[in-house]
Amino acid sequence: MSAPPYSYSYIFKYIIIGDMGVGKSCLLHQFTEKKFMSDCPHTIGVEFGTRIIDVCGQKIKLQIWDTAGQERFRAVTRSYYRGAAGALMVYDTTRRTTYNHLSSWLTDTRNLTNPSTVIFLIGNKSDLKDQRDVAYEEAKQFADENGLMFVEASAKTGDNVEEAFVETAKKIFQCIQDGRLDLNATESGVQHKPSQPGRQTLTDQSPKPSCSC
Amino acid sequence: MEDDILNEIVSSEDLKKFERLYLNESTTDNLQRGTQFNYAWCLVRSRYSADIRKGITLLEDLFKTEDSTNEHAKRDYLYYLALGNARIKEYTKALQYTRAFLSIEPGNQQLANLETLIKKKMEAEGLKGIALAGGVALAVGGIVGLGFALAKGKK
Repeated sequence: MSAPPYSYSYIFKYIIIGDMGVGKSCLLHQFTEKKFMSDCPHTIGVEFGTRIIDVCGQKIKLQIWDTAGQERFRAVTRSYYRGAAGALMVYDTTRRTTYNHLSSWLTDTRNLTNPSTVIFLIGNKSDLKDQRDVAYEEAKQFADENGLMFVEASAKTGDNVEEAFVETAKKIFQCIQDGRLDLNATESGVQHKPSQPGRQTLTDQSPKPSCSC
Repeated sequence: MEDDILNEIVSSEDLKKFERLYLNESTTDNLQRGTQFNYAWCLVRSRYSADIRKGITLLEDLFKTEDSTNEHAKRDYLYYLALGNARIKEYTKALQYTRAFLSIEPGNQQLANLETLIKKKMEAEGLKGIALAGGVALAVGGIVGLGFALAKGKK
């Protein structure tokens, strides 16, 4: 038999932002391919990846725009912020300058996304313990002060990578359930797809399962 | 929301914004290469093939006139030349650009992804044979000796 037209119920749009060389593309690759990309040249413009995940029993397709960190792409990559439901903001725990630039990344994100956009701060390269240049506590405080979710992660070992992408989706899903995110707004970054459209014509529409996570 | 980089559409506000910058600089004889690139980058993501073709012309011009030592810029042009050509179904050209790029930088995942996407699209359109027949001729869109030009800069 043919597959249903959609194998997922929602699409969430994500962006990944941060200075060049912090490992944005490697985090994406680890998340979508479960592999570490050791040879990681600078991204040209933007790269794209998808993965379907399960949140509270719902299949959610993440459409992830991975932006180039280099300054010369900045003017155009800014247009990808529009309509993002989730923003993963990345710095490198071994290079303080990438951390110092976070407030400007955050300002950009706040200006170009909408108030319901979930922003998740990732301190990447947590495996390089000897080279640490930013204390966990300091970044945690920055995240708390700005209302961001936060983990330290490693695209190399995979540590906390899954968590960052999935926790962002859970938070977005929570916002939908609480009615804080308007699905009809054009720039919410979320699309609803009935997962089995044929069903509604045969039986009464069953009530939506409520989320308990 | 579009499903991949070959279907994603630039917003008309962005296209207008970067066109205005390009025209302003062109008319005052002060055209910056970055401005031309940004405009071309938007054009190749247009829904209209006339725009995409215009973007390709601008990128070819940038490629031909770029300082041979500026590797990074050349990578950018090649990538978007491949993308633009794929979007107007000039698959053979698109693959020649990705192959030229990959012959210099074989491990580049972003280019490998684009190539896979182009091949999938060709397959979906029943053009599999053409992908294979494309060969490695590197005289595309007036850019002769593409691989050579890149390889030279690499040394």
